[in-house]
Amino acid sequence: MAKLVVLQPTKQPPISLLSSSLSHFNGTKLCQIQYKRKVCQPKGALHVAASSTKKILIMGGTRFIGVFLSRLLVKEGHQVTLFTRGKAPVTQQLPGESDSDYSDFKSKILHLKGDRQDFEFVKSSLSAEGFDVVYDINGREAVEVEPILDALPNLEQFIYCSSAGVYLKSDILPHCEVDAVDPKSRHKGKLNTESLLEKSGVNWTSLRPVYIYGPLNYNPVEEWFFHRLKAGRPIPIPNSGVQITQLGHVKDLATAFVRVLGNEKASKQVFNISGEKYVTFDGLAKACAKAGGFPEPEIVHYNPKEFDFGKKKAFPFRDQHFFASVEKAKHVLGLKPEFDLVEGLTDSYNLDFGRGTYRKEADFSTDDMILNKTFALQS
Amino acid sequence: MDLVRKQAPWLPLLLHLPLLHLLHFLFILVSLNTNSGGHAVIGFYFAKELLGSGHEEITRAGGKTMWGDPADVGNVVAGATFDVVLDNNGKDLDTVRPVIDRAKSSGVKQFLFISSAGIYKPTDEPPHVEGIKQNLHYCRMSGSGVEKYIAEVFGSWAVFRPQYMIRSGNNKDCEEWFFDRIVRNRPVPIPGSGMQLTNIAHVRDLSSMLTLAVEKPEAASCNIFNCVSHRAMTLDGMARLCAEAAGLPVEIVHHDPKAVGIDAKKAFPFRNMHVYSEPRAAKDILGWEGTTNLQEDLKERFKEYVKIGRDKKPMQFEIDDKILEALKVPVAV
Repeated sequence: MAKLVVLQPTKQPPISLLSSSLSHFNGTKLCQIQYKRKVCQPKGALHVAASSTKKILIMGGTRFIGVFLSRLLVKEGHQVTLFTRGKAPVTQQLPGESDSDYSDFKSKILHLKGDRQDFEFVKSSLSAEGFDVVYDINGREAVEVEPILDALPNLEQFIYCSSAGVYLKSDILPHCEVDAVDPKSRHKGKLNTESLLEKSGVNWTSLRPVYIYGPLNYNPVEEWFFHRLKAGRPIPIPNSGVQITQLGHVKDLATAFVRVLGNEKASKQVFNISGEKYVTFDGLAKACAKAGGFPEPEIVHYNPKEFDFGKKKAFPFRDQHFFASVEKAKHVLGLKPEFDLVEGLTDSYNLDFGRGTYRKEADFSTDDMILNKTFALQS
Repeated sequence: MDLVRKQAPWLPLLLHLPLLHLLHFLFILVSLNTNSGGHAVIGFYFAKELLGSGHEEITRAGGKTMWGDPADVGNVVAGATFDVVLDNNGKDLDTVRPVIDRAKSSGVKQFLFISSAGIYKPTDEPPHVEGIKQNLHYCRMSGSGVEKYIAEVFGSWAVFRPQYMIRSGNNKDCEEWFFDRIVRNRPVPIPGSGMQLTNIAHVRDLSSMLTLAVEKPEAASCNIFNCVSHRAMTLDGMARLCAEAAGLPVEIVHHDPKAVGIDAKKAFPFRNMHVYSEPRAAKDILGWEGTTNLQEDLKERFKEYVKIGRDKKPMQFEIDDKILEALKVPVAV
């Protein structure tokens, strides 16, 4: 933050745009100085509390992360456009969202309909519109990003939703941003995208979440546990149950995405974004039970090697330790997650799964295989 | 000067220093128990680091030494004044109380206590974190009676909770336990799944943290610091890294100590559970950074292990043999 010189106080009220950051100066001519200073700075470099309005494009934005992110950005006064095929409704009122909040958001959000795999269309439509900032929330491969960069040569910032899945498996944990990545991982497209961004010279920021959870989650993370708890079924967990994982609430992730906007400390940086504490598999089952007001669950451990589940997944997490340190985001960006695990799961349960809404039907076939064998051995 | 000499007979040792310097240095008492478990090594290292950075100290080993029973500390250091006391000796209140009381009455400003991360209760949500800093006037304590007593008596205190450490001179086997088996081409029996996480730090990390607390007493005050490396490792991972450091293969064998019928504590140098803390308070409050690099540090340690000839030392592996024998029968892990 640049040092501000205090001038003679005047009786005029401060310019409203900057008043939040200058309230303690009681309306001095500082306002003028700061405004001028901002114009002289390279675009996007200065971080002021009430940012200037930006023209923002979100690739995606109608399914999960973008739903929360777009709302935050619109509230901050930015002009936000969602680029989607239009398969899902552009907006939908969220459980717990007031009518007035929703209609305000709905009236302001813009939509650019298209298929991002149609690279020519992406390039031409983006170039015609022109955007200051792009949030790429649903990109998987580097080729998908090339037309965006081509279309917007004066882009102030490209903010990418990557994944902690890029880290090379290690005995030494937690995963930190400086650690080795795995070029063969399932998420190598994300890695290739990060490399492309690095090489392109654009001002980029990449966030690497671990497991994301929260209302509207389409990945069966908490949903998997809630199905079983609701049905009063035991929770089958592979091996010892002490494997450690980590969940990050979608609202905290959305906040992180906003925090890096126009933030010079985030320029060309990667940040792990997730919850502050990690959790064992057994611990997660218990936390979900607490969140939904269920009694302590019955946990059944099994050896997955003794079963052939075919193509079905018997458990939603990788059977290994998988968690990342969020200390860099904490120290560099001052980011502190709002939700702890039980609070976050409660939020998810109350606003989504606890209301009977879910993305995937419950499928207990693999559970039954496990339980039948386990109880057969015991009897 | 004569008056001073009467009160503090050891002062002549320091008289070669200009009086001006005496005012700037902190006098630090490090109370050690060289026979205790892993803590002795912290004191030695800390002493070296402090002397290096210009603080004068009286310790029980190396440097300027004063020998005596810690319970008798009042008489041993009669008349001497210290700014900081580091107690690396205490296991219980009875042992530490005389040091605390003496320090308080002689005007010691800062009391540093080496506790243990072992006092944390097992958790489903690792890592163990210290909790937020409390107001200077009300410091919330959890854990042992010793920590509570220190907080009651002293205005400026800090408690450090270390875990496992590597370094030569350590009385407690850590990496050596793995080396013993790896160099003799013996399987390494690890209880449970081998996935248990623990922090294994090089003692220089702990020493640098203690030094920072001495240099930033106001920031450190009324805080608990997990005194661990910034990275954790699985038990299997530790075995693999030790083997890598030795340039030898390793065979890891998992077992259930209860099923085998052995004393888990004697069989293995680590607890059979996650013992996983993070040094967040030290990073946030002291601006501390860890430098433990187990891959490199273990290579160093292996060289020293071979240098002292421990790889050739004849050894018995009774408990190991019992485990390996039992494993011929399938055991649920």
